[in-house]
Amino acid sequence: MHYIGLISLYAAFGSTLLALFYGGRASSSQPKLARRANLISILAAAASTSALAAAFLTNDFRLAYVARNSARSLPLIYKLSAVWAGQSGSLLLWLLILSLFSLAVQRSCRLRAEELDIPVNAVLGVVRLLFIILLLFVTSPFEVLPDPPHNGSGLNPMLQSLGMVVHPPLLFIGFSGFAVPFAIAVSRLWVGDSDSAWLETVRPWVLLAWVFLTAGIVTGGQWAYSELGWGGYWAWDPVENASLFPWLTGTALLHTLLPKTGIPARKWWCCALIVLSFSLTIFGTFLTRSGVLDSVHAFSGGAVGSIFLAVLAVLLVFSFGLAWLRRDCLREAGSERGSTSPLASAVLIGNILLLLLLGGVLFGTMFPLLSRTLAGREIVLDESFFNQVTVPFFLALVFLMGLAPVLAGSSGGWPGVLKQAWLPLVCGSAVGLYVTFAVGGGETAALPFGIAACGLAAHLRVLLGRQPRFSIGCTLVHIGLLVILVGVTGSSVYTDDIFVSVEPGQAVEFGSYALSYPGLTPRYGVDRYTVGTTLSLSRDGRDVGKLTSEKTFWENRSQPSTEVGIFSTFKEDLYLNLAGWEGQTAQLHLQRFALVSWIWGGAWIVYLGAAMALVGPVRAAKQGKQVKAWGRRTFS
Amino acid sequence: MADKKAKVIIVALLPVLVLGWLAFRAFENSAAYYYTISEVLVQEMRDQKLRIKGKLVKDSVNYDPSIPLLEFSLADQDSQVDAVYAGVLPDNFHHADEVIVEGKFNSRGQFTVSKLMLQCPSKYEGED
Repeated sequence: MHYIGLISLYAAFGSTLLALFYGGRASSSQPKLARRANLISILAAAASTSALAAAFLTNDFRLAYVARNSARSLPLIYKLSAVWAGQSGSLLLWLLILSLFSLAVQRSCRLRAEELDIPVNAVLGVVRLLFIILLLFVTSPFEVLPDPPHNGSGLNPMLQSLGMVVHPPLLFIGFSGFAVPFAIAVSRLWVGDSDSAWLETVRPWVLLAWVFLTAGIVTGGQWAYSELGWGGYWAWDPVENASLFPWLTGTALLHTLLPKTGIPARKWWCCALIVLSFSLTIFGTFLTRSGVLDSVHAFSGGAVGSIFLAVLAVLLVFSFGLAWLRRDCLREAGSERGSTSPLASAVLIGNILLLLLLGGVLFGTMFPLLSRTLAGREIVLDESFFNQVTVPFFLALVFLMGLAPVLAGSSGGWPGVLKQAWLPLVCGSAVGLYVTFAVGGGETAALPFGIAACGLAAHLRVLLGRQPRFSIGCTLVHIGLLVILVGVTGSSVYTDDIFVSVEPGQAVEFGSYALSYPGLTPRYGVDRYTVGTTLSLSRDGRDVGKLTSEKTFWENRSQPSTEVGIFSTFKEDLYLNLAGWEGQTAQLHLQRFALVSWIWGGAWIVYLGAAMALVGPVRAAKQGKQVKAWGRRTFS
Repeated sequence: MADKKAKVIIVALLPVLVLGWLAFRAFENSAAYYYTISEVLVQEMRDQKLRIKGKLVKDSVNYDPSIPLLEFSLADQDSQVDAVYAGVLPDNFHHADEVIVEGKFNSRGQFTVSKLMLQCPSKYEGED
C-alpha cells in the first residue's frame, strides 16, 4: 500500500513540474496540456493521502509514521485523524488541500473566462512543489521500518478528541486559502496588469480562507477548553498567535478589497496585505515547526522549520522585488483616487489598527528570541502583556466594526454618520451604565458590553431593513463577532473557582448549584483503566443535569489523561476537573465561567454569514459564465 | 497637500504611540527573565519574575492533594533549587523530561511557582 503513496508523490512531483513547464510561460500556448498535467498532480496528491489513510485504517505498522501514531485498538475516526497527528502527515494533508484549491481555481468560471487559471495555478504549483519536495526528501510519511512492530505505540490521548479531527484541517484550509490570492496577485503583476479589475476576483477566495481560518482558531480554542482542563481557550501561546497573524491581515484585506470603500492607494494596500497574509502563513508554519520558541504544542524541531524560514526569505524578496518592478501597475489611475468618505477613513483606520495589533502580538511573541539575540538573556512576556497591549486595540476595532452599517449607509459625510449613529451609541451607553451599576465587573466588563450593544443595535437595523446598503452576509459575520466579544468578556470577567475534598454522599454548594458526589467508579478498557465520577447537579432543589470527570491510565503510556466535565448553559458553564483522590475521597476543582457558550454560538453566526456572503458572488459568476463560455464544462 | 499629508502622518502616528506606551507599561509586570539554576543561586533576585528550566529531581516530589500544594526540586548539572506550586498536580508531571517554571523567590529561598510548564519527550509527535 505504501508504495502507492510514494509513487503517487513522485507522480505529483513530475506532473507539477510538467504543469509548470506548460503553464509557466507568459502567454501559454498549451493551456490544455497545462490543465491536464495539473489535474494529474492533483489526483496524485489525493492518491498519496488516500494511501496513507488506508495504511492507518489497515494497521500497516511497516510504516514508521503509522506505527508511531496509531494502534490496533484506536477507534476508526481517530485512525483517520491520526493521518495529520504528526509532522509529515500534516504536510501531506496540507498538500492535498492546496491541490484541492488548485482544482477550484481550475474550475473557477471567473478565472477561466480569461484563461487566468493557468498562470494562477503555475504559482500555486511552485508552492505545492515545495511541499512535495519536503515530503519526498526531508520528512516522508512513507518511511518503512526494517522490523515492523505487531502493534503501534498509539495516538497521544490528548489528540484523541473531536477537536483533533476538525481543528487541523480547518486551520490548514485557512492557511492554504491565502495562497490563492497571492497566486492571483503574482500572476497579474508578473504580466504587468495595470488594471485593478482582478481585485474583484480575489475577494471570494480571501473570504473563504478567512472563514476557515476563523473556524480553525475557534475550534482550536474549543478543543483546549474541553480537553486540556485549565478552563481557558486562549493563552497567547506562540502557536496560537501564529494562527492569529494571517487572520489579522486577512481581516484587513477583506475590507480593503470591498469595491465601494475607495480608500486611498487601495491597490497598493491590497497587494501588500495579500503578500503579508500569505507570508504570515509560512511564518506561522516556521514558528510551529522549528522549536525556536517554547510552546505547549509545537512539533518537534528539525530541518523543516529552517526550510520554511528560507522559503519565507525568498518569498519576501521575490514579492517586494516584483512589486518594485511593477510599481507603475500599483499606482491608482486618476478615476480611482481614494475618497475621504467616512467609510474609506474607517477602513483605513481599521487597517492601521489591525496592523498595529499584528505588530504588538508579533513583538510579544518574538520577544524571547529578540532579547536572546540582542541582550543575551531570554525574556518571556506572559499573557498579561498581550492582554494589556491588545485589548484596547481590539475594543477600538470592534467599536468601529459595530458602526459599519452606519458608516456604509450614510451619505452626508461625518455629520450624516452622527445623525444615524446616535441610537446605537445611546444603546451602548445604556448597557455600559447598566453593567457598571447593576451587574458589576468594573470598566473591564462595562466597556466591552457597551461596545457590543452599540454594534448589535446598529446591525439589527440592517436586519430590520432600515439600512439597505449593507448585505445580510456581512451583517451576520459582524453580529457573530459581537456575540463572541460578549462571550469572551463574560468568561474572562465573571469567573469563580473552588477546590474541595469530598466524601461520598457529600454535597458541594457552588454558585447557585448544589453538586452531590456519589463516589468514584472504575472502568476497564482494552488498553486502559479509567477512574471517574458523575456529580448530580441541582438548582433550587430541582435536578438539572450531571457532570462527569475522569482520569484514564493507559497501558502503553506513562502519563494519564483527564477528561473534564462541562455543564453548559446560556448563562454560564460549570467546569469540573477530577484533580485526584485518596480512597473514595476525591479532590475536585470546580470552575465557573459566564457566557462561554456565546463564543461558540457567535462563531456559528459568523460561518453562516460568511457562507451567505460567499454564495452571492459565486452565483453571480455562474450566471456570468453562462453568457461568456456556454457549455464548456470539461476539465481539459 | 503637504498639510493633508502631515495630518495623515499624525493620525497614523498616534495609535503607534499608544501601542508603544501600552507595551512599555505592560512590560514591567509581565516580563519573566530566563535564568539557569546555577545563576539564580549565585545572585539574589527576590523581586524579579524569573523563568527557570531544569530537570525534575525524581524523589523530591511531594504532593498534598487536599490543599493542593506541590513541592519539588529542579536541578541542572551541578545545582538544585526547591520550588512550591499551589495548584493541581499535572497529569504527566512525574514523567516530564524538563520542567519550566515561572515565578519569584519567597523569603525562605523557595521558588514560588505561578506558572508550571512541562516538556515531555512525547509532546506532540512520538519521535524525540
